[in-house]
Amino acid sequence: MAEDLEFYTVDPDDEDVERRDIKKLLTECGLLYEIGIEAFVVCRDGEKLVACAGLQQNVIKDVAILPDYRGGALSLTLVSEVTYLAHSRGYSTLYVYTEPKNAEFFRGCGFYDLVEMPDTVVLMENTPIGIKSYCKQLQKHRVEGAKIGCVVANANPFTYGHRYLIEQAAKECDWLHLFMVKEDVSLFTYQDRYYLAEENIQGIPNLTLHAGSQYMVSRATFSCYFLKDQGIVGKCHTAVDLLMFRNHIAPALGITHRFVGTEPFCATTNKYNNDMMVWLQDPVRGAGPALDVVEIPRTEYGGTAISASEVRRHLRSGDLDRIRNLVPPATYELLKTKYVPLVQAGA
Amino acid sequence: MELKQEALAGTLESSDLFIRVSPSEDPLEIAIESEVIHQFGEQIRATVEEVLAHLGVTRGVIVIQDKGALDCTIRARLQAAVMRAAGETKMDWEALK
Amino acid sequence: MKLRRSMLFVPGANAASLSTAFLFRPDAVMFDLEDAVSLREKDAARLLVFHTLQQPLYDGIERVVRINPLDTPFGRDDLEASVRGGADTIRLPKTDTPEQVQELEAAVEEIERDCGRAVGSTHLMAAIESASGVVNALAIAQASPRITGIALAGFDYVMDMQTERGDGTELFYARCAVLHAARAARIDAFDVVFSNLDDEEGFLKEVALIKKLGFNGKSLINPRQIELLHNAYAPTQEEVDYAKRVVAAAKKAEKQGLGVIALGGKMIDGPVVDNARRVLDKAAASGLRKE
Repeated sequence: MAEDLEFYTVDPDDEDVERRDIKKLLTECGLLYEIGIEAFVVCRDGEKLVACAGLQQNVIKDVAILPDYRGGALSLTLVSEVTYLAHSRGYSTLYVYTEPKNAEFFRGCGFYDLVEMPDTVVLMENTPIGIKSYCKQLQKHRVEGAKIGCVVANANPFTYGHRYLIEQAAKECDWLHLFMVKEDVSLFTYQDRYYLAEENIQGIPNLTLHAGSQYMVSRATFSCYFLKDQGIVGKCHTAVDLLMFRNHIAPALGITHRFVGTEPFCATTNKYNNDMMVWLQDPVRGAGPALDVVEIPRTEYGGTAISASEVRRHLRSGDLDRIRNLVPPATYELLKTKYVPLVQAGA
Repeated sequence: MELKQEALAGTLESSDLFIRVSPSEDPLEIAIESEVIHQFGEQIRATVEEVLAHLGVTRGVIVIQDKGALDCTIRARLQAAVMRAAGETKMDWEALK
Repeated sequence: MKLRRSMLFVPGANAASLSTAFLFRPDAVMFDLEDAVSLREKDAARLLVFHTLQQPLYDGIERVVRINPLDTPFGRDDLEASVRGGADTIRLPKTDTPEQVQELEAAVEEIERDCGRAVGSTHLMAAIESASGVVNALAIAQASPRITGIALAGFDYVMDMQTERGDGTELFYARCAVLHAARAARIDAFDVVFSNLDDEEGFLKEVALIKKLGFNGKSLINPRQIELLHNAYAPTQEEVDYAKRVVAAAKKAEKQGLGVIALGGKMIDGPVVDNARRVLDKAAASGLRKE
């Protein structure tokens, strides 16, 4: 009863023959070979490569199966194997982006819908309780009120600009929820960014600080954001991240307003802000209740808007004096004691 | 038995089930999805609870995607997942029957 | 006299196969914990097989478990699961010497005593997969009273012989040697797997050959091959008619208290009667041969 199908893992950067065959299979299935995929699970029937599924951190990409092999158990084995591969690499829940017409395939493979950008793309996760139990946790922090606000910040690192935005937002609301982006791809670690937020929001009475999650500005919801150095911002599905917020997170906490600072410098963030107006405020088929997006002008120092990227620039050039005016004392202390030596050691 | 790390067992193939067990500070949380949930949901849950009780698992999150597995398959897969999560390799076969 | 024509391989990690293989009604199933199971799944496969063995699904089918060799980190645990789970037979892969069988026998007995299973109730089977195994075939076949059969496994054997699978010439000596060892030891002999699933004609040709040589049956990896194999082993009407006359004559002789069996004026002896009984068993199991 052994089938002749063989499943195994391939590192596309190291295995030329495998990569060539994967590219050929993807082309035959009308897909593009995506850069940045760290590993593939492939299936061969004898010598012939008949299916593949790629893994980029916790996102499945480039899933292709030859037409003759569709509809059977192969797809289930393929997805099961990818799940084991991801697990062995430390990724628990997996995500997939797919066209709505292919969503049914992934539903059959143990994936559950998270959010759909109508007629364009569906984001799914491979656990039935992921978003549900996350929202249940969030609900414990729900505060009732007419105007419940939210700020999502990366704060890399936390500046007076962040403090100003949060203060203004809190003043306008009955309650404010502050989320720290959890994805650890910034100069400042998540742990440090969270610590600085904790330190720097003191004195604001109507605020809850939340840990970030994979459901918000993460590799899963917003994979391109973390690849912006590769210049593929245009393809970003900002809508997916924003609809996740609108459909799941906002209702769980009763959020009515999302606050954001104006973005004069970074094109990606500026696009995200603009997209926010569309995907949070406008009617969207199948989406949760609309929210109000409130843009708050950046606070300035010496005539220039304060930005974390400027702080990082000064940090790299060792210009601590100029940083002192841009960040609260807690940030300054941490910069001085930890990140200046770190940057110097790196340079 | 204490769950020390997340572990997987099984597959999504027909007649099998896929199990993910994770450590947790909270009492057991068991989520079961099944194509035959209306017919067999209670029976599956009873088997799962019995196996967990037998292995002395009192905390953790257990997520099960059932694809019409037989009772013996459910037992085997769940025991495998728990052993893996507990880092336990020595089997007490008589206790597993 | 148990029929052992078909022994169907069932990968031990495959829940679907374990839950359904009985439907194909092979004479024996071989739950595989060895080559069909990846390193990652060794633990899970062992548990699956352990629980499957305890199910009534396979009643009437001989349940064989192929364990990993005892000198691997998996062999002993596989054996614990199989004997305690209630396997009828343990199949030892890569058997090169009779000592390996005796080591297995001792381990099985220890587990039987520990779990309260009747000592001796677990049968053994040795798979011969190398030149030294073939040379030692008789000693292996006689190594333990628990041994009920030996099987030739072709894949590793042809590699060991520095050749490859072809028209059967490459297996000629091994088949004859294994078969002679089995017959001399009064146990069963099983032929290799035929792995080209699409070549029905080639399969039937091979079955005709091994049947003629005298093998009891064959290891199979495809359930579709079971019916083909059983049919090829099924007797013709003529064979059944003759066997019925032989058995009737034997009964008559027994009833009359005669020491000699006569059929149509000719004397027939014990082995002819045994053979006739086997023919009737096969007819009872899968009818007459369909051409």
